[in-house]
Formats: sequence, C-alpha cells, structure tokens
Amino acid sequence: MIQVTDLKKTFHDRKKGEIPAVRGISFVCSPGKVFGLLGRNGAGKTTTLRMLATILVPTSGTATVAGFDIVEKPAEVRRRIGYLSGDTKLYDRLTGRELLSYFGSLAGMAPPAIAGRIEALTQPFGLAELLDRRVGKMSTGMKQRLSISRVVFHEPEVLIFDEPTSGLDVIGAHAVLGLIQELKGKGRTVIFSTHIMTEAERICDEIAIIEEGEILARGDTESIRARAPSRSLEDVFVSIVGEKIRDR
Amino acid sequence: MTGRTLAVYRKEILDTLRDGRSIFAIFVFPFILYPAMLGFMSWIQSRNNQEEQSISVRVGIVGAAQLPGVREALAAAPGVTAVPLQAPPPTLEGAGVDAALVIPSGIRDAIARGDSAKVELLYKEADHTSSAAAERVDPVLDDVRRTLTVSWANSLGANARSAPTFTVERKDISSKNEMGRFFAALLIPYLLVFMIAAGSMHTAVDATTGEKERSTLETILATAASRGDLVIGKTMAVLTASLTGAVTGITGLWITFNVVTRFVPGMQENAMQLSIGPDKALLLFLTILPTAIFFSATLVAIGCFARSMREGQTYATYVYMAAIFLGLGSFGQQTPPLSRFFIPILNTALLQREILTDSVQSLHAVTALGTSGIAAAVMLVIAVRLFSNESVLFRT
Repeated sequence: MIQVTDLKKTFHDRKKGEIPAVRGISFVCSPGKVFGLLGRNGAGKTTTLRMLATILVPTSGTATVAGFDIVEKPAEVRRRIGYLSGDTKLYDRLTGRELLSYFGSLAGMAPPAIAGRIEALTQPFGLAELLDRRVGKMSTGMKQRLSISRVVFHEPEVLIFDEPTSGLDVIGAHAVLGLIQELKGKGRTVIFSTHIMTEAERICDEIAIIEEGEILARGDTESIRARAPSRSLEDVFVSIVGEKIRDR
Repeated sequence: MTGRTLAVYRKEILDTLRDGRSIFAIFVFPFILYPAMLGFMSWIQSRNNQEEQSISVRVGIVGAAQLPGVREALAAAPGVTAVPLQAPPPTLEGAGVDAALVIPSGIRDAIARGDSAKVELLYKEADHTSSAAAERVDPVLDDVRRTLTVSWANSLGANARSAPTFTVERKDISSKNEMGRFFAALLIPYLLVFMIAAGSMHTAVDATTGEKERSTLETILATAASRGDLVIGKTMAVLTASLTGAVTGITGLWITFNVVTRFVPGMQENAMQLSIGPDKALLLFLTILPTAIFFSATLVAIGCFARSMREGQTYATYVYMAAIFLGLGSFGQQTPPLSRFFIPILNTALLQREILTDSVQSLHAVTALGTSGIAAAVMLVIAVRLFSNESVLFRT
C-alpha cells in the first residue's frame, strides 16, 4: 500500500529561486489496484514518483510505501519497490543475464536465488534469446522485455511506473500495460503515471489528475469519467486542467 | 569552402561560446593554470636550490701535496670537507667521500716537461649528494687549472698564456645498475602517479556521469543498495582500472628498458638495468594504494557533480593535470623536507623515490601514507555525500 499525506517538494535554483514542483498532495494506493497519476509534462508526476521511490527527499509531508516511511526508512522502501521510468535505459555493454544478476545483487539476492529467478522469468518474459546477448545488440522490444523483467525480478510488493510506455510502439506499450494488469491481479500495489488518457482508462482503478503540483481531481476511474457528458477521460482532463490554466 | 561549411563553422563557434565550461577552459583556465604551474615549479626549484646549498659534502683528494693550495681551496668551498686520500678509491662509499679529486703522481714533472696533464674528479651522477659535491667543487677546479698553468709557467720562466692543456675531467663512475636505479627513482614515481591518474579518468567518468547521460542512474538509485554501496563499488572499480593501468604501464617500461633495448641496434650500449625486485615492487604497490584510492574517489566525486560526460571529462582533465604537476615536483630532490610529505600525490612520488633509492625515512613514510589515507577517506566521504545530494545528481 502507498499512503501519501500533504506531500510537498520545492526545488531551489540559484537563478530562478524556489520552484514548487509538488504542492501538498494526498492519496492512497491499495494492493491489487492500479492508481493512475495523470498530468501534463511538468505537472509534478515524475517528482511525486521519485519521492515515493526515495530518489528525491520531500520538502514536507509524509508518505509510506509498503508500511515504511520514505524519509525515515528509505532502504526498507527500496527493498520493496520496483521502479520503471520510460526515460530510463539499460547498460548496453552487459548481457541480459549479467544485467538481471546485477539488479538481483543490488536487491540483496543470493546467487542461487538469482539463478532460480532468471530461470523462472525466462519463459513468461521470453528471455531465452536475451540472456546471453548484449543489451546494445537488442531490439527496442527485447530491451523492453528485459526492463520489465528487471523491475519484477526481486518480486517487489509495490510497483512504481513513471510513463512506462513513453517511446514505445503499440506492441511494446501493450506488453507493458498487460504486465501492469497482471501485477494487479497478483495483488501488488501499482502506481502509474501517464499523460495518455486511453492507457489510464484501460488499466487504472483509481485516478488523480495533477497539474502544477496539485491534485485537481481524484477518485475511481468511473466516477472521474462521469464528470463529462461524453464519459471520456480526455474530456474530463481537458476541462479540469484547462480551467486551472485559464485561472492562472 | 562553401556557405554550408561556414554555416557549420558559425554554429559550432556560437555553440562553444555559449558553453560556460568551454569559455572557462579556453579563456580563464590558462590564466589560472599556467601561473599556478610556473609558481609551483619555481617554488620547488628554489627550495631545491636552497636545500642543495645546505648539503655538506666530503671530497677526497689524492696527491694534494703535488699542487699546493688546492686542498685549502677545496676546504674553503662552502659545505665542503676535504679528506686526504692515499690513492684513488675503488669506491667512493668505501672511502667515505662523496667525490674524489685525483691528482696523478708526477704531475709536477709532466708540467715541467710541458706535457699535458689530467686531473680527475670522480663522482656519481646517479647519486644526488655526489653530483652536488661535484657541483660544489666546480669553482675549485678553476683554481686547479690556474694553479697548473702558473706552475708550468714558473717552472720554465715562460708566459702562462702559452701553457699546454691541463685537463680537469669530471668522470661519472656510476655503474649501469646505479644509473638504472637513479632513473628508476626519478621516473617511476612520476610515471606511477601519471598512470594511475590516466587509468582512472575514463572509468570514473563513465561510471558516474555516464549513468546520468545514459539514463540508468534512477534505476540504481531506486534499488536496495545504499548510496554508500554504490559509490564505494564504483570507486573500487575505478581503483582497479587505475592500478591495472599503473601495473601495465610499469611492465611496459620494464620491457622497454630490459628487453627491447637488447634487440634494437644502437641501444644496447646505452641500455640501463631497470631492475626492481619483488620486495620493492610490493612496496611501490602498497604505497601507491592510498593515493590511487584518493584519485579514484576524487574522480568519482567529480563524476557525480558533472552534468554530462563532456563536463566530467573536462573536470577530470584538470585533476589529471594537477597530478602531473605534483608528480613533477618530485623531480630533483633527494632528501626533501617533511612538509612536502603532507602534500597528497607529491608525497607518494617522494616516498616511492626513497623506496627505490633505499633511503626511506620512517617519519616520511608515516606522514605520506597517513596524509594520503586521510585524503582518500575525506574524498570518499565527499563522493558519497555528492551521490546522496539530489540537487547535485539531478542538477541541469
């Protein structure tokens, strides 16, 4: 489970001064559900997810991930999460097996456990052809499969996906969304950010629309969609965010 | 040249001029670096000269009675103690002198006959004190030449201006082994410092800034590994690369001196024996270790700070150049003052020089290793802190 209460993040820039990226957001993501964070570029989605992944430290507010406070127990949090961002890449000079072993070791897994996990993931993720090939020689689709395997390798309770389909073609995006649904089916807590409304409509149980670091609307997907006569999430999003922009 | 070529040229120049780091490297850095370099080297040189002047040397003299006044002239030279010897010494060390002036017997008769005569100054170029003694004796040799000339003129009642040649020859009696040891002591500490710096640069920048540039940084930051685990693991990898670079570099040097020169025509005669025993090799390795850790941690810290590979390489180059200058500071000093053993990098080069010349002073060794160890630990802490600082890691 993820519980976020009045979480804030302000960046300090020597030239621009204080830049509030997240301005006191609160939400809860439950196990077995997919929580979607919807927003435009620069709305604060990545900063929020980076705070939950303990990559960034919040300026104020609290959040717990899998029962551990992200500020007080960051190591415990990291042990229990899998983090995938659409921007992140893999190490080109490693083979698939070396890459998975590396991340397994970072997760604290022993070599026999790593070998067993590689074997277990080979069939479902189609890793057989990737294990002894260098990442740099893989196609985009192969890299995507390997990325997903990396995220679930240590069987995390909580999965944080930051625009995971960014830069992927339809097939790649479909595979990622399929995995998220599968993880949800296994009772994992999944938080997922996107600016693609159709993706959110398809897989999210709950949604928060974020703009300028504030949550403008939050609720289950159906209730959010019901805010527009067309029942289109995109229309709701444009209406809510557009209003905020006009008010600025 | 086409308009397109000029367009590309204009764009690249514009791009460069708008890059603060390029501006710094081209227009600011040289005005800081070169004066600093020159200042440092001049300071080292002037201190070396002062130290050389303060060295006391013992100069043996054989056949002093044949040329009255020479012994007194020698004794009058600053810092020189003239030691009478019965015969040319088989070794300077055995005679307890740093150099020896050998006046051959029968020189007076030879002078009277109008024959040329040769006085030899035996010394070792490979030994700093011995070569300092030779330098110190140099002005006295002029007196010797004058004495010989006047002596000849007096014996014949002739004009001293038409005197025959009296040679006072400086004769370097260093063996090939001694010369090899001398050059090893001069070159190896410097080359080791240079090689560990060169060997660690690429790996350090690739392992840190490269993570940012390749967008792999977040993946490791979100794992169970602590920032300390990540930085220390990376520093160890950089350390391995730098030590490997140093070992292969020294091996290459050894092969060049001890093997290649034997097969290259014309080099055999000048070939030196660059022999380093396993005990010394081990000591060199152990003493370079704290400095290699210091270097590796410094470059990892720089890599954490840099925004791009280009920026990281630029900063790493500055560290590399600083290492070269500090290494250069180890040239030309046999017994440097204790204060220099507090300067990282320079202290290691100086200590290694003492190891190679069998003149290790325990206080120097403790100071050098202690200072380097502390510097390495401080740099590691800085590197971990930088790697834990989000405003540094994610600065744009």
